[in-house]
Amino acid sequence: MYKAEPETGQSPALQVPPQRSRRAWWQGAATPASATGRQPTWWARLPTIVRRTIVFVVLVAFWQAYVSLKHVSHLVFSSPASAISALITGWSNGQIAAATATTLEVLLIGMAIGLVLGALFTVLATATTVGRDFIMLMTAMVNPLPSIAILPLAIIWFGLNNKALVFVIANAVVWPIAINMSAGFTTVNPTLVMAARNLGLKGWRMIKDILLPAALPYIISGVKVSWAFGWRTVIAAELVFGTAGGSGGLGYYINTNQYFLKLPNVFAGLITIAIIGVVVEALLNAFERQTVVRWGMARS
Amino acid sequence: MGTSQHSAADSRAHARGDAGAPGTAMDEARLRGGHGQAGEPLLLVDHVRISYRMRREVVTAVADACFEMRRHERLILIGPSGCGKSTLLKAIGGFLQPDAGTIRFDGRTDLAPGPDRAVVFQEFDQLFPWKTVLENVAYPLRVTGRDRAGARERALEFLEMTGLGPAASRHPHELSGGMKQRVAIARALALEPTMLLMDEPFGSLDAITRARLQRELKRIAQRTRVAVFFVTHSIQEALMLADRIVVLSPPPSTVLEVVDVSDIDSPSDSRYLETQGRLHKMLGATDEDLPDVQG
Repeated sequence: MYKAEPETGQSPALQVPPQRSRRAWWQGAATPASATGRQPTWWARLPTIVRRTIVFVVLVAFWQAYVSLKHVSHLVFSSPASAISALITGWSNGQIAAATATTLEVLLIGMAIGLVLGALFTVLATATTVGRDFIMLMTAMVNPLPSIAILPLAIIWFGLNNKALVFVIANAVVWPIAINMSAGFTTVNPTLVMAARNLGLKGWRMIKDILLPAALPYIISGVKVSWAFGWRTVIAAELVFGTAGGSGGLGYYINTNQYFLKLPNVFAGLITIAIIGVVVEALLNAFERQTVVRWGMARS
Repeated sequence: MGTSQHSAADSRAHARGDAGAPGTAMDEARLRGGHGQAGEPLLLVDHVRISYRMRREVVTAVADACFEMRRHERLILIGPSGCGKSTLLKAIGGFLQPDAGTIRFDGRTDLAPGPDRAVVFQEFDQLFPWKTVLENVAYPLRVTGRDRAGARERALEFLEMTGLGPAASRHPHELSGGMKQRVAIARALALEPTMLLMDEPFGSLDAITRARLQRELKRIAQRTRVAVFFVTHSIQEALMLADRIVVLSPPPSTVLEVVDVSDIDSPSDSRYLETQGRLHKMLGATDEDLPDVQG
């Protein structure tokens, strides 16, 4: 990619069309409201946060009304009120906090390994054609396979312990990271690379100062996708582990409470999972807005 | 680049004796644009051939280019599209190697890309989007060895010079195309290059912005005495900026002629129209094309 292409100025292996390049294909297409060509309604003119809050409140109200009016058994379904009180109790007696810590620890170790491996694969894919073929093939093969599906194998290889979980998570994370990062590096604007070479830049400084920031939109979307994959995978794996795992993450917490028919606790666990998911995604989005969106390299 | 081959057109060009091949004294004089001048030229392009692979075939962009450039000179390279102007500029910039011939710059022939030949590209996206305007100009100065304070001060000075002071803290995507090109020019000038390589830098601008930037560039080049090697396909631009104009033929290209226009100052000069007409003819315009004079 350092080689200048005479006259055309185009990188030969542009995998993604530039307009859609900020989003990987599994993320779907963005549909901005303005694209429909219609005037925004009064609802669309409200601030996003207000609209979302209203929808949220209405949903919770329906939920509470359903449970209160239909007198659903508390062994089958919980009201939002009892779920929230179970959430508060669970957090104050430390049970949910401990479970969350366990889950996050396993997840972070798995993601860290996945990210490092993904970066290594990216280097391979950027440097060699064989490396790129390897990444493309592995992603195409592994992508339709839910990463939880290899848990039985992982248990045979590593035993009933956290190593099996870490393996499954790393596997879930490494491929989206590798394909996004390598797409980021191979689609760096060749003019930008020439402008940098013009200064005599090469080697590590070229990578650090030019290629990494230029590939950042892809790297961020890779991290977002792998967070989503990893988070779902770790919960699912803990559920499958069930009581056998023993160490007890959030999935285990839900499973145990289901076993003892403590439905409010099950809901409290689910709410915790949702909140952590939302918070981390919000943090990643905030990082994206502060960097690539502010620099005009990606749309929000 | 890959292997090269002599095309039929290539050898026809030689047979016509258009340029390039070692020729008579008259040829030599014509290639220098009439002004014989003593001393080592800043840039010597000597029988340079550049071809590149496109899918299966090898395309010879530049068949045989010969010209030289003096210090502090503004040399414009003009030619029809696809004649290898940009390719030649990239070779001088050190981004690609000629298949044959030599390029001697400032006494050297082993040309890696370097800040002594600062390049301004046509594309607006040559600026680093994650850096502000100020950082875009200061960063190259840091790379080439200045300390933080020195780089910043010098960057501000060149932003002032190009009228970009108020935009210093903006990011490139918040600038118009003309301002982006101005930043690119400021960034290149701040490096104090021996030569400025400009690859149709105003090619994507509207006519008014373009004319304004041409005037500014000329003024700054006259003031800083930086040598400017400027690629364009616009005859108007060439006449406006040049000391001398190197005219390339269609690909595989050779140098048709080097025209000295350093003493033609204004479009009202009678020689302006005459030279303009001559350049049009050289670039292959027929009489029907001629009324459409603006490039």
